[in-house]
Amino acid sequence: MTAAVEFSNVSRHFGNVKAVDGVDLTIAEGSFFAMLGPSGSGKTTCLRLISGFEKPTGGAIRIFGEDVSNTPPHLRNVNTVFQDYALFPHMNVRDNVAYGLMVKGMGRSQRRAKADEMLALVKLGAYGDRKPAQLSGGQRQRVALARALVNEPRVLLLDEPLGALDLKLREAMQDELKALQKRLGLTFVFVTHDQHEALSMADSLAVFNEGRIAQIGSPQDIYDRPATRFVADFVGSSNVLPPDLTRALGGPAEWASLRPEATRLAASGPVSGRVTALRYLGSGTRVVIEAQGTEIAALVPAGQPVPAEGTTTAIAFDQGALHLMGAA
Amino acid sequence: MLSDRSPLSLRAAAIGGLLFLHLPILLIFLYAFTTEERSFQFPPPGLTTRWFATAWYDRPDIWPPLWLSLRVATIATSIALILGTLVAAAMTRTAFFGRDQISLLILLPIALPGVITGMALRSAFGIMDVPFSVWTIVLGHATFCIVIVYNNAVARLRRLSGGIMEASADLGANAFQTFRHVLLPNMGSALLAGGMLAFALSFDEVIVTIFTAGSGAEAKTLPIWMLDELIRPRQRPVTNVVAIVVFAATFFPILAAYYLTRGGSETAGMGK
Amino acid sequence: MSAPAILPARGFADRMTATFWRHPRVLLAILLTPPLLWLGVVYLGSLVALLWQSFYSIDEFSGVVKQEFTLKTYAELLRPSNFDILVRTVIMAAVVTLACAALAFPIAYYAARYAKGHWKAAFYLGVMLPLWSSYLVKVYAWKLILAKEGIIGWAAERTHSSWIIDGLLSIPGLEGSSLSTSPLGTFAVFVYIWLPYMILPMQAALERVPNSMLEASADLGATRGQTFRTVILPLALPGVIAGSIFTFSLTLGDYIIPQIIGNSANFIGMAVYQLQGTAGNIPLAAAFAVVPIAVMLVYLAIARRMGAFDAL
Repeated sequence: MTAAVEFSNVSRHFGNVKAVDGVDLTIAEGSFFAMLGPSGSGKTTCLRLISGFEKPTGGAIRIFGEDVSNTPPHLRNVNTVFQDYALFPHMNVRDNVAYGLMVKGMGRSQRRAKADEMLALVKLGAYGDRKPAQLSGGQRQRVALARALVNEPRVLLLDEPLGALDLKLREAMQDELKALQKRLGLTFVFVTHDQHEALSMADSLAVFNEGRIAQIGSPQDIYDRPATRFVADFVGSSNVLPPDLTRALGGPAEWASLRPEATRLAASGPVSGRVTALRYLGSGTRVVIEAQGTEIAALVPAGQPVPAEGTTTAIAFDQGALHLMGAA
Repeated sequence: MLSDRSPLSLRAAAIGGLLFLHLPILLIFLYAFTTEERSFQFPPPGLTTRWFATAWYDRPDIWPPLWLSLRVATIATSIALILGTLVAAAMTRTAFFGRDQISLLILLPIALPGVITGMALRSAFGIMDVPFSVWTIVLGHATFCIVIVYNNAVARLRRLSGGIMEASADLGANAFQTFRHVLLPNMGSALLAGGMLAFALSFDEVIVTIFTAGSGAEAKTLPIWMLDELIRPRQRPVTNVVAIVVFAATFFPILAAYYLTRGGSETAGMGK
Repeated sequence: MSAPAILPARGFADRMTATFWRHPRVLLAILLTPPLLWLGVVYLGSLVALLWQSFYSIDEFSGVVKQEFTLKTYAELLRPSNFDILVRTVIMAAVVTLACAALAFPIAYYAARYAKGHWKAAFYLGVMLPLWSSYLVKVYAWKLILAKEGIIGWAAERTHSSWIIDGLLSIPGLEGSSLSTSPLGTFAVFVYIWLPYMILPMQAALERVPNSMLEASADLGATRGQTFRTVILPLALPGVIAGSIFTFSLTLGDYIIPQIIGNSANFIGMAVYQLQGTAGNIPLAAAFAVVPIAVMLVYLAIARRMGAFDAL
């Protein structure tokens, strides 16, 4: 498989601030790739490095094997769905979508036909004559999508495209985007700070922290086997165990993560603690135990006995569920 | 609780203040119709419209200054539009060395009293042996009109989401296409408003103009003509007729500028 | 999917854009060169040349400018006849500024706090139109108003209050045959012409005072007067100072108004105008012109020290 986008040791420094610092990254063609991280972690800068709005201070970026270090944004065959959509307020929806074709010199009737076709694809066929200001947030988002896709880019970049939508609309758009990406077979690079969004949509994802990639892998990898404490903290609901606690539980003196589903309660064991909170979830009960100053969550499946709040219980775990993350 | 109704005394003072700003201008209109031409007698002893005919037919001295003022204002506004837009475009880009100094430099011509700008330019013309002409007047006017256009352009650029320029480049447009298809259509009304204010300012300017116009009869702009009439009055009501023309030539562009830019935080006119 | 990842440049415009992207300074230089040539070289050059000449002096016998560095011209500013001009102008500027602030406050406060919808627009236009409309026309209007036979004299006569005006005109320092030849007239016209410059920044400052803050003050038991003194006035102060920069500076430099209305006592602007024109004493004119610049710099420094710009 060809790499759609490839970063080799890419950095982007603003004075002393290392927005992106030595990133290596390969995005496979046709994949749905998510860049996940808190704000300021460098994920958006990475996206802007691909589109060309930022220039690397070090390293090289290749798009389909071609070095783009010297290529300005308007000559890169990639398109972006911007966070605030950045629709042209003075043009109607059809002209917005046809803009990329117009500046490339396509004739009026041809580009309008293509724009209408693309608007139909995002279910806005009837809205071509409206101005962006007359559309809802969700509709604007679709226009931005159509405006990018009509150019048939090799890579589509999406900068927190769902951030401005309400929860229900966001979930519907997640499914739709995923389906669209499958149908077109296009490479999507998706920036988000929402771990659920990233895990549920992406084929593979990179977790960013302080300008570096903390971990890169499939959603399964990242969720089950977080490489660092940061990833475990940021991505999941996993318990993060300090080295002392890991050793007390029978492991080496390293940081470790332990998923609540794999955490068991026992009558006796090396580590025990007090039950501080209970939350009924339907499929089971989430029990929080405070042991040696660390809060550990366990998911007790429905039908099994649940300890009362304030009682003491010992902690156990399924074989192989303890995931080690090193001593640091 | 604070009441949402204003105290009567405050409202009276506010409305009184506004009347204070406007009533004197109305007197100009009234005196254009008076039959008394030697003094400013109030109330006018009689009313007549003959001064409009007199100004039109019998006072050839009015026309050359009027044309000169129109010409100067048009040229100065055009120059200010180009230069003001260029600076505004440069200043909205990311920080660069000397940026603060440049914004101060643009403001200087209106921040300093006009007499200083006027005298500085005049003595510079003297040193460099530049003869007075339409162009020396234009030079002075364009200098203080740049900031008017700049203020309007910069306010609009700031309000425009920077995203649309990037979006344009992202979709394959080069800088010239972005300028023509995205920037200009979105800047249009702000530039028009800035241009109108600049025109009004230039058409009416007298403090700097006196220094840069020289003393010849051919260098007399309409405001200089009016000033002469104020100091050595001839037919006073004719001066009023001309004052109405000057007032209209500034009033309508200002009103248009307001309607072109209202509804934003950038409404034209805040920064004279 | 065989489209290239990099599109070919389609001509000069595309290649120029690529150059701008690779070297942002090229575009910046193209944008800034024409305006900087105009403002930075022509205008700033003229200002520097003017300042320079204030360090020359004029030969008292031949009337020729001596081009050697001296502070003699500045010393001449301190001669009683010249110093009088400076004092008179600065006092006038200060009094005009105070009067403008007092008159502007109700308008700005009402427009910022109570005017809504159409009234708000009306207030805004009502201030902006006089601000921008013809300066000379406005001065001329006051010539009509203040003339002995004009509207004020007429109204005073009708209400049998001419004695008030006569009384005012007989106060030493304010003498004149009518209001239009008295310093009182000059003062009134200055206030009228510069008033809008005070209202707009004041209104802008007052609009930044959130209503919730006024309500908080009222909730804490402050009377209307206390709220006004302790909350509104301090918060409006930056606007007053911003406005006063205009009214002060404009009065310092004006030479038209005192020439048309008043007792033809000299002001800085008039002195500059006469000295460079008929008298041909450019060095002294330049030295006079430096005074407003210096006064404004000091004024701005004090305003900054008082924190007037923090809230702007």
